[in-house]
Amino acid sequence: MAAAILSVLAALAAYPVVGTGYGVRSVQQIFMWIALAGSWNLISGLTGYVSFGHVAFFGAGAYAGAILVASAGWPWPLAALAGGAAAVVLAVVIGYPCLRLKGPYFAIAMLGLNEVLRALVSYFEGLTGGGNGLSLPTLDASVPIYYVMGVLAVVVTAMSWLIVTSRFGLRLMTIREDEVAAEAMGIDTFHHKLAALLLSAVGPGVAGALMARDQGYIEPISVFPLAITVTMIVMALFGGKGTVFGPVLGAAALFVAQEIVWARYPYVHPLLFGAIIVGVVLLMPRGVLGLLQQRYRLPRTI
Amino acid sequence: MTSKAPTALAVALALAVGGVMPATAQGPIRIGASLSLTGTYAKLGKNQHEGYQLCEKEVNGKGGLLGRKVQFVVYDDQSMPATAVRLYEKLITEDMVDAIMGPYSSPVTEAAVNVTEKYKKVMVAPLAATTSIFKKGRKYIFMVISPAEVYLEGLVDMAAKRGLKTVAVVNEDTLFSKAAASGAVELAKKKGMQVVFTEAYPKGNTDFSALLTKIKAANPDVIAAATYFDDAVALTRQMKELNVNPKMYGVTVGGDLPEFYDTLKQNAEYIYGATQWEHTLPYAGNQEWFESYKKEFAHDPSYHSAAGYAGCLVYAEAAKRANSLDADKVREQLLKLEMRTIFGDYKVDADGFQVAHKMVTFQWQKEKKVTVWPDDLSKGKPLFPTPAWTGR
Repeated sequence: MAAAILSVLAALAAYPVVGTGYGVRSVQQIFMWIALAGSWNLISGLTGYVSFGHVAFFGAGAYAGAILVASAGWPWPLAALAGGAAAVVLAVVIGYPCLRLKGPYFAIAMLGLNEVLRALVSYFEGLTGGGNGLSLPTLDASVPIYYVMGVLAVVVTAMSWLIVTSRFGLRLMTIREDEVAAEAMGIDTFHHKLAALLLSAVGPGVAGALMARDQGYIEPISVFPLAITVTMIVMALFGGKGTVFGPVLGAAALFVAQEIVWARYPYVHPLLFGAIIVGVVLLMPRGVLGLLQQRYRLPRTI
Repeated sequence: MTSKAPTALAVALALAVGGVMPATAQGPIRIGASLSLTGTYAKLGKNQHEGYQLCEKEVNGKGGLLGRKVQFVVYDDQSMPATAVRLYEKLITEDMVDAIMGPYSSPVTEAAVNVTEKYKKVMVAPLAATTSIFKKGRKYIFMVISPAEVYLEGLVDMAAKRGLKTVAVVNEDTLFSKAAASGAVELAKKKGMQVVFTEAYPKGNTDFSALLTKIKAANPDVIAAATYFDDAVALTRQMKELNVNPKMYGVTVGGDLPEFYDTLKQNAEYIYGATQWEHTLPYAGNQEWFESYKKEFAHDPSYHSAAGYAGCLVYAEAAKRANSLDADKVREQLLKLEMRTIFGDYKVDADGFQVAHKMVTFQWQKEKKVTVWPDDLSKGKPLFPTPAWTGR
């Protein structure tokens, strides 16, 4: 298993030497989706608290990073870390009140948070450019960003593995199965949920800042779309929520499928995505990996 | 799993994603573009696509370009800048297209141009109207349509000539509309008019009563609104309800669509609008092009269709004069080129910024759009002043 993972990583590390510009950017996007789907999985897959607004962390990271690069002249790797920090701050602000409650309040608050952020970004024009968007100086850093995004995907996945195999992870899953029972067993559910949310905000924040630097131009409509949240949820569900490698599998498989289908059948794509959601929920609620775990004797912690 | 299988898997994945296709030497000239075929801008992106298709057909009908056929390679960017960036990278590094044409909309162009500049590819961008895109020292991007700043020029100019003194400017808070509004404010000040009120409203706004109450208190001679379609309709309706009666009232995008009159009926009378192109304008071949477009696609073209078509012809002409597809040679020609198409004039300054194309201002008169500005392109006279709502 370890050898398998290492050889995949080695192949990916060598890829920019032989790949085309498009290939490098596409694999970089797969890394980004692994980080996003894996992060969503930390809060929603493990504790069962579904976030419908995880793109808010992505967008906050994108704007924080872009503003620091454009106005303060920070180098982009530092700005990426700051993007992650901004997302964590935002997670505290929203998680502290909302996760004290049980039930659907968190899901609804996250949905609203995204809309509020988009409105705020449009309003504070002096800082964010408002509806004009924010344009960064041209910089060709595709390959360095590829590696940093790759490291981010690895870190998020490794973090998932550490959590799933730890007592902390077991407690989170207890909350998912029965929150009242978890409390009765003495688990401080609020602080566990909050910790999971903070950990799940870092990845999207860093990814957003990296994306902003790579793309060179961001605007409110394109960094806060609901579509990004939906895509990361579908990827995590498809691969297997609550698992370590489910989001990795889902992100890679669906991104490659999308890229092939998009190019040829643009009008079929939204339909197909909807069908995948319905199909996964009805036929394999635990995703591809969950199905494999049921059929074959695979470890629980993959 | 053994350690060999995953390695093979990784290699296969890498190949699937990044397979290199050899470019053939003497096949057709392949022109790549990503367009908004789905998503927010789907309708407009589709018209632009049809403009490209008609240009392809015409160039091939005349024996092709540099002795070769041309062929468009088009992908769907879902109206998303991020997708467009990836697709242009794909067109350039994998499909190895011979030339590039621009996508739809300013935001998408602003993102995609980072890729085309990186690979030093000429991009004629027929549907990007935001000045700032062209004023950042980029070398290979060329503008075709008039910039957003001049959309309301006709309205302000006509008002100034008629001795009107005060103007209120409102706009939707997005890239294009903001630029159109700031252009109107600048121009009004230059013409000695007083800007008595400005306000931006968020995208998707439907309630304009607070804004209109403030305008009514300021009582301007002219209301200039930088709009899209939905807000133009809502604003007009609520002006009637609140009985706001300026002597002139004009909108930007949306006012030129037939749906604008269909929705508002006689309330659209006397309203001014701005457009990049009309099929009635006296450019050579314009009417014939309009007919052949209708025959080909079974619906009327919009200015997006005409701009796409014209932008593609501009590129083809420059390549012909350069007798090459080499980016620097074509660029040199594009900078020198002066050309008139069915879309109007093309000429750019040293930044690739459009300086020759003219916006026209029309007024709805008896269910028809009558071109009233500028004088050399206009068909009729503006009905002035606009009567009160009760008198229409």
